Amino acid sequence: MNAEWNRRNFLYRSLVGVGGIALMDLLNAAPAPPSTASANPLAPRKPHHAAKAKSCIFLTMLGGVAQMDTFDPKPALEKFDNTTLDWTGEKRTDQPELYTKPRLILKSPWKFAKYGQCGMDVSELLPNLATCVDDLAFVKTITGENGNHPAATFLMNTGLVLPGRPSVGSWITYGLGTENQSLPGFVVLPDYRALPFSGSQQWGAGFLPASYQGTMMQWKGEPIHDLSPASKLTDKDQRDQMELLRALNHAYLDGNFTNPDLQGRIDAYELAFRMQTEVPSVLSVAKESDATRKMYGLDDEMTRSFGTRCLMARQLVEKGTRFVQLYTPSQSWDSHTDILKGHAKNAKEVDLPIAGLIKDLKQRNLLDSTLIVWMGEFGRTPDHPADLRDKAGRDHNTKAMTMFFAGGGVKPGVTVGKTDDLGWKAVENVYRMRDVHATILHLMGLNDMRLAHYHAGRQMRLTDTGGEVIRGVVA
Amino acid sequence: MNGSIAWGDRGLDKRWFNTAAFTLPRAGTFGSAGLNIIRGPGFQNLDATLFKSIRISERFQSDLRFEVFNFPNYPLLSNPATGPRPANFGFITSKYAERNVQLGRKVRFLNYVLHPIAGAAGVLALTALANDATVFREKIEPILKAHCAGCHTGPQSQAALSVASLADLLKGGKRGPALMPGKSSHSLLMQFVRGERSPRMPIGGKPLPEATVTALAAAIDAVTPVAQTSAAGKDHASWVFQTPVEPTMPAVKNAAWVKNPVDAFVLAALEAKGLAPAPDASKRALLRRVYFDLVGLPPTEEEAQAFLQDAAPDAYEKLIDKLLADRRYGERWARHWLDLVRFAESDGFAIDGERPTAWRYRDYVIRAFNNDKPYDEFVLEQLAGDEMQRRLAARGGNIENEGLLALGFLRMGPWERDTNFDAQLRLDWLNEMAGTTSQVFFGLTVGCARCHDHKYDPIPQKDFYRLQAFFAATRIEDRPMPHLDIEGRLAMRRRLRQLEDDLESSNEAVKVLDKALKSKLAAAGKKEDEFQKLLGDKDSAVFTADERKQHKDAAERVTKIGLEIARYQPLAYSVNEVAPPAVMDVEPTYVLAGGERLARGEQVEPGFLKAITGNSEPAKIAFPGRYRSGRRKALAEWIVSPANPLTARVMANRIWQHHFGEGIVRTPSDFGLNGDRPSHPELLDWLALQFIGNKWSIKAMHRLMLTSNTYRQSTRHTDAQRSGEVDPNNRLLSRMNWVRLESEALRDSILALSGGLNREAGGPGMFFHVKDEIAQGFQMFKWYPSDETAQRRRSVYAFQRRSLSMPLMEVFDAANMSESCARRSVTTVSPQALTLLNGELTAAESRRFAERVMELVGPDPARQITKAFSLALMREPSASESQQARRLYEGRQPGDALTRLSTVLFNLTEFLYLE
Repeated sequence: MNAEWNRRNFLYRSLVGVGGIALMDLLNAAPAPPSTASANPLAPRKPHHAAKAKSCIFLTMLGGVAQMDTFDPKPALEKFDNTTLDWTGEKRTDQPELYTKPRLILKSPWKFAKYGQCGMDVSELLPNLATCVDDLAFVKTITGENGNHPAATFLMNTGLVLPGRPSVGSWITYGLGTENQSLPGFVVLPDYRALPFSGSQQWGAGFLPASYQGTMMQWKGEPIHDLSPASKLTDKDQRDQMELLRALNHAYLDGNFTNPDLQGRIDAYELAFRMQTEVPSVLSVAKESDATRKMYGLDDEMTRSFGTRCLMARQLVEKGTRFVQLYTPSQSWDSHTDILKGHAKNAKEVDLPIAGLIKDLKQRNLLDSTLIVWMGEFGRTPDHPADLRDKAGRDHNTKAMTMFFAGGGVKPGVTVGKTDDLGWKAVENVYRMRDVHATILHLMGLNDMRLAHYHAGRQMRLTDTGGEVIRGVVA
Repeated sequence: MNGSIAWGDRGLDKRWFNTAAFTLPRAGTFGSAGLNIIRGPGFQNLDATLFKSIRISERFQSDLRFEVFNFPNYPLLSNPATGPRPANFGFITSKYAERNVQLGRKVRFLNYVLHPIAGAAGVLALTALANDATVFREKIEPILKAHCAGCHTGPQSQAALSVASLADLLKGGKRGPALMPGKSSHSLLMQFVRGERSPRMPIGGKPLPEATVTALAAAIDAVTPVAQTSAAGKDHASWVFQTPVEPTMPAVKNAAWVKNPVDAFVLAALEAKGLAPAPDASKRALLRRVYFDLVGLPPTEEEAQAFLQDAAPDAYEKLIDKLLADRRYGERWARHWLDLVRFAESDGFAIDGERPTAWRYRDYVIRAFNNDKPYDEFVLEQLAGDEMQRRLAARGGNIENEGLLALGFLRMGPWERDTNFDAQLRLDWLNEMAGTTSQVFFGLTVGCARCHDHKYDPIPQKDFYRLQAFFAATRIEDRPMPHLDIEGRLAMRRRLRQLEDDLESSNEAVKVLDKALKSKLAAAGKKEDEFQKLLGDKDSAVFTADERKQHKDAAERVTKIGLEIARYQPLAYSVNEVAPPAVMDVEPTYVLAGGERLARGEQVEPGFLKAITGNSEPAKIAFPGRYRSGRRKALAEWIVSPANPLTARVMANRIWQHHFGEGIVRTPSDFGLNGDRPSHPELLDWLALQFIGNKWSIKAMHRLMLTSNTYRQSTRHTDAQRSGEVDPNNRLLSRMNWVRLESEALRDSILALSGGLNREAGGPGMFFHVKDEIAQGFQMFKWYPSDETAQRRRSVYAFQRRSLSMPLMEVFDAANMSESCARRSVTTVSPQALTLLNGELTAAESRRFAERVMELVGPDPARQITKAFSLALMREPSASESQQARRLYEGRQPGDALTRLSTVLFNLTEFLYLE
């Protein structure tokens, strides 16, 4: 944070509410997105500072991954397995109901080993990701605010536990625009078996202009709904139709410049029209080699869904899409019971595809310019209700979660933060979700305090009053 | 073992308590020692200060200070070490500062907040500032000086944070501002001192004594929060929570423009800014505007001509009356209300189960609008329709009692049917009711006070629970309620009987089929318990593909009829009072700390908001009988009593919003201090009083607003530049707002133009067609589309499943039914273009529209183009437009060309927007 901003920030804070509103424009150092209706809101814009990463792929593990079963081994769990923890004196807010009943510690059902030159611990759940650890930077100490899925997912995506705020992808396209004007700048690839809670609100633009909201794509059938006409039209039909529409809408705009939304509609049609040709050609699995398809696990039913979407993410990023977010099915990792089965299945679905994505980006020299973020909405507990011992699982835990960064601008092969002996609570270098956001923005060349939008009487930010860049993972 | 030591055995060189009474907990466990079990030596400090402030000029002040800390120079011992290091465990290892004398001079700059402000706000800010300076000097500074200033002052300050002045704290250091005025728990300073952030401060030293921490927090809470120093906030509070008073009619220069008092208020504000209103909208624009506003559909050609050619001076007034009497009016306006009450016909959450008779609530709302049910009655019925039949009957307006149907309001929120946790589910419901009721009926976000006192409005947490207590005697229940005549009782009964017959024959068919297939099963040597499995097994040779399909279809038919039958049951999706005779001992309501179910605090009785009533007395509830608690009735009566300052304003503002595109208050469900300020407070008060005076007639409000000249303005100001500069967001209404058709109006218009709209009113909803890949994404329910004619009903009759909405609704910003929606967003995104250009609706209806045009005007392309334009846009095409459209006919059959033209027309900005 530079000194000048500090001063301005201070002035702004001192003045707001006592007549300082008029100074707002003067003080606002954010790269103002074009305000005139005719400028393209998605045109690429200069970052605040030089950055390696040009695009970001956000891999969302919905439901919450158990850190002590994947990347954060805890020998103490083995020692205290099947014993009761005394939680009295600890205020449990994640799911208070759970703590009214006796609970038992659960050791990890999976073995850990050290991998790579960095010697990172990875469990046998993720054998393929284990081979990539020298490219990854782990943070073991992300904490949340709310132990419910929808609220925690909102926090992860928007910085607030309630719906209605712009998501990370919206903020980044708002700050940087996008490189390819024939593709959406912010693409969301959910799993159609179960969409995230609140669906499109998770990738909404909130109070930012709607151009910055995520566009949902699917991996089976047409990638975007109604991308091609329901009645089979020829290319000429579509072109003629579009030409007439464009002419009539432009003529209308000329006579009605007072409506600020009219230009936006024209832009939306232009993008839609370009997408019709561009999207199918970019997102073609057929044009990939067998080896590539295998790399992403497209030959296996188990990995095909996430694998295809990882491949689509690479194809999009390669063509200049700014932000791609993938989701596992809603609550897929949510193994309250039978974690042995649940986590095994979920790990298998994503392990090979993610490793494939990282390796493929690397071999195409794209990893340097692509930031990869892997995380869920919260971590899981070291223990479980005693009456469910037969089919033991783990419950929600906002006090610690492991995540990783990879790619552009990331310091590879490092681990930041420490949890307690049980992996329950982050104890050293503790970070919040807004710190993750600040880090993502930083790696993309944006300053979280400067990326602001004036709304409802104040400057709104993804990190609200500011986050802390997790310096340990920045190269 | 006793942990304490006799006083005489304690000392600076000895342990302070018996350390042998403590041991380290096992690794990975938490110890059993509680907080605060060891009492330290105590802390008595006396500081003395002499100072003299000298005002040098208006902008500078010089302080001369002589300060002595720890004046008597007592030894101030800190607490004994309780950490696990055995060496100093139990010893007192440090003490606080000895006597410290300092002499200082300080020059203070006073103008930095004074500069940009003037008048009353400036005085207020100055007062607040002076108070804050005192708080800092007396309460905060001494603590910081003693514990923090060592590392955090001067140019070498750690983390660039200086604690020398309030301004320094506000400025903060590397981590951001150290102090949030009025919010200790949000202040970094407190978070570090309390150890909520690491490292705990003071770094390397002992944590501050509990009393000091508390004192510091209290002092920070006493600093004036920045946002609340504004005079506007206080003015707003005195407006919001006071009953509206009849405003005086403002004087205007251009009196000729004033058609009714609405105009006087609007014009006075415009003239104050030197602006004139925009000219009248064209008759055509007005016609389109008023049709969409009132009935949500475009006028037919005949309707349009009738108005455009009516030269009578009251032609417009007659049109309004006609439309208000039109059945389609209720269908349009019910939708606005359904958005507010988060109406849906399924539960949401994982299973999203159907609410088969919830449609009766939707029809109730449509009837209420069509019959111009007085709004107070409408509110009373939805909150307490079961408790006040006598009162409602006495009014005579209500021919059939709909109270039980109206209560559906209480059950329209999401409901986690598949929970094994009933107590939490009930609490969630109670919370949702308190929150939604206050937002919908009196425009306050009381829900914010569930976990803590409201951050902006004077609503203590207790009031949330007092409000919640009005629902404590309510039980969720489907209640028997025969179909009303107005719902088509006989037709309903006939349909139900027919469905029951169908079910019987379908069941019979399944039985016959089962029998045949089971004999085949036996012949193949398989056991009966493999029957279902083999029926679903594609690879098994026991049954042919045909047989499997036959069986599946037959079984599905039974399921489908079963679903249908449930929708025709004479049940109201309603509530009841807790089972008699338990009404006497309704479950008590408690204030819950942090909103958590188990964190019970004080018990509360039902009561109204203190912010409005000025007291915290329990509500007076006349005990109405053994089977009724009277609680909801008391709440409803309070809401609609003329003494409630908000109810009429909030509803008047909602009606205004749907006519003008924006409300007078632009946060229609938040009139609180964090909400929007009214652009025309006096106008809103006047409207509210009119509303009450006109016996809460909503239609009277429509007439009032629509006949004003304000409503009849054009969207284009003659001096567009000035109007844009002086009134950029059109808060003054110097022109009419552009309004985009809502998703329902868009879809209904396309169907109306193509001639395909099915005008059937009421009854169970229609199930629209969805693409297979979407329908298959839902494991928990089967989606059976209605027949094609039924699918063409108005959008308000579409079955509202929370997890599955019509593609067109979703992309065009229809309300998301997870919570009350007072104002839909209007976004413009590419998926809208794709859906409206390429989607199934456009494809089918463009073709249909083309056929209709050809039928009307025959094969001549020029006449077709003219007709298509005038039907869709209510105007003829210009010469250049005709010419451009004509190009579509090159190399195409006229029918195809016209179909392409129709698609273009449905996508035009002009088609989507109301001028």
